[in-house]
Amino acid sequence: MSDMWINMGPQHPMTHGLWNLRVHIDGEMILGVDPEMGYLHRGIEKISEDRHYNEVITLMDRTCYVAGMAWEHLYIQAAEKALGLEPPERAEWIRMMSEEFQRLASHIMWYAAFVQDLGLMSPFLYGMRDRDLILDLFQSYTGGRLTYEYMRVGGVRNDLPVGFNDRARKVLDWLEPRLVEYDRLCMGSDIFRRRCDDLGILKAADCVKHGVTGPMLRSAGSKRDIRKDRPYSRYAQVDFDVATAESADVTGRYLVRMEEMRQSIRILRQTLDWLDHHPGPVLADRLPRWLGAPYAPIGREAYLLKRNYPKGIGLSAIEEPHGEACAYVVNEGGEHPYRVKFRSPVFANLSAASQYLVGYHVADIPPIMGSVDVCVGEVDR
Amino acid sequence: MAAEIEKKQNPSAESPTGAVLKPLATAARQFARSLIRPSTILYPFERLEDPKFRSEVAVESGRPIGVGEVWDNYRGVHALNVNTCISCNLCAFSCPDLCIEMVTVPGGDPKHPKKCPQIDYGKCSYCGFCSDACPEGCLTMTTKYELSTPNRKDMVYSPQKMFEQFQRKLPMNPIRLERPANEDAILLDAPLCIGCNACARDCPTNCITMLDIPKEAPKPGEKAAKRIWKEPVVNDSDCVRCGTCISVCPKECLFWGTHS
Repeated sequence: MSDMWINMGPQHPMTHGLWNLRVHIDGEMILGVDPEMGYLHRGIEKISEDRHYNEVITLMDRTCYVAGMAWEHLYIQAAEKALGLEPPERAEWIRMMSEEFQRLASHIMWYAAFVQDLGLMSPFLYGMRDRDLILDLFQSYTGGRLTYEYMRVGGVRNDLPVGFNDRARKVLDWLEPRLVEYDRLCMGSDIFRRRCDDLGILKAADCVKHGVTGPMLRSAGSKRDIRKDRPYSRYAQVDFDVATAESADVTGRYLVRMEEMRQSIRILRQTLDWLDHHPGPVLADRLPRWLGAPYAPIGREAYLLKRNYPKGIGLSAIEEPHGEACAYVVNEGGEHPYRVKFRSPVFANLSAASQYLVGYHVADIPPIMGSVDVCVGEVDR
Repeated sequence: MAAEIEKKQNPSAESPTGAVLKPLATAARQFARSLIRPSTILYPFERLEDPKFRSEVAVESGRPIGVGEVWDNYRGVHALNVNTCISCNLCAFSCPDLCIEMVTVPGGDPKHPKKCPQIDYGKCSYCGFCSDACPEGCLTMTTKYELSTPNRKDMVYSPQKMFEQFQRKLPMNPIRLERPANEDAILLDAPLCIGCNACARDCPTNCITMLDIPKEAPKPGEKAAKRIWKEPVVNDSDCVRCGTCISVCPKECLFWGTHS
């Protein structure tokens, strides 16, 4: 008789964005949960159908506001496959570097928000301070700190500025000891371990059943990582390990993300070394005129484009900081994509909430949901 | 895996003092450092766009707030050089948010008034597509970022207001889209042309001239074709590829192509 439903959200410190977790409780015990998404739906897939291939990039930065580069990369790969274009080699490496920097920034952001959910205020400030350095790097070559608009169909907007590689190495040198510090603050604390161990357990088999991917899946012992399994961009040419943990709980997810940051730094060092020695073009020449230039086809060109341009379908999957994201772009001729569809990893991770929340206490919800790394922008799109 | 090894070394469990003191020591070290080198700036007084201050807080200084010379690339409020603007409409064309409107500015002959972009910053997403598209380099983005205003109408920047930004000589964003050399050209489907002069009249760079062509003798039994015996010739080196001529052509006889 004492059971009841409570709403955590849409405005709640636990939610990290606009979504609502309806929790069925009996005293302190969680009997069931019902995540409600859709408060941030902007219709990005539909708007994309009315924009030029390059203009969709402005939406990609806003799809996930902590991993804009990764989503740009995802969309651009699919659009290039649909249009049958090939970017220059250097552009591919710059894209990979951007994505890894974004993964680093996103994981630091996650760390800052996650420990704040646990009530630790100072690691939050350390995380935000260190993430700002990566944003400064982004600003130095894209011009934006959060919305980069950097990648273009057929390459990237501009080459790296002079001295960028040295600045980037200095930032990596600064970040590496900080990661040790983060670990000392959290893993060194018995209180943290007591709060997070054996919490929110989701085994690998259940993860696969519910489409849960990314650090949550790897924390359950699975070695699944698209960067290794189906290497895209130039990930086949760099050396890195897939971070895994066995415990499948909140601590495991923490350890996986921390290890991923170290691996990202390792990838970034190799990428910067490659970029040092391989100058070259960053945007494909021989682009169709309406792609390389800002103007739309007019008059008879629009007609011819509709009829004669090679049609195609582009499908790409990348290992986004939150999990496996997928984009699907249909090119039916013309300057707009006919259909754009995205698979958001966080949507699947959130939908399985009842699998890893039921049976725990209400006070466990913030650490568990914090370890999922929710970004509502990409859940609702 | 380092992560797994670390997991096994369970930290100082069962001894609460050690468990609490270990993270506390890290935090104390951070606190001590922040007394000497704070990680924040006094914003209105210290600004990252100030080059002198920037070098003080670069990563190597140990007080990392910025990474050094990065500010000039920032995409902020636009600066417009009204004098060199050729009214080609490319900025408005390339804007994904449709926030650019071409408005008439004083100067320019009364028959064909000069039009320059007016930007509504309430809609602008600062993507920089417009400054990438500008063929004359007269629309650029500056490092100005303070835009807050109590009045929504103030968000609309007229060409004159953006010209003021230009005259303030703020650092302009030096990064532009590295676009490969444009090989496209405006081609003419001569049999369709009626010589109406619309393309030459509206060309923003005046690169189209109407040349006389020989008057064709009518075929036996037919009347002479009704047309002005002139044909547009495009000077490719002056052409900015804005497509205005194609859009104004009443017979759709101009089209994009390559000379080869």
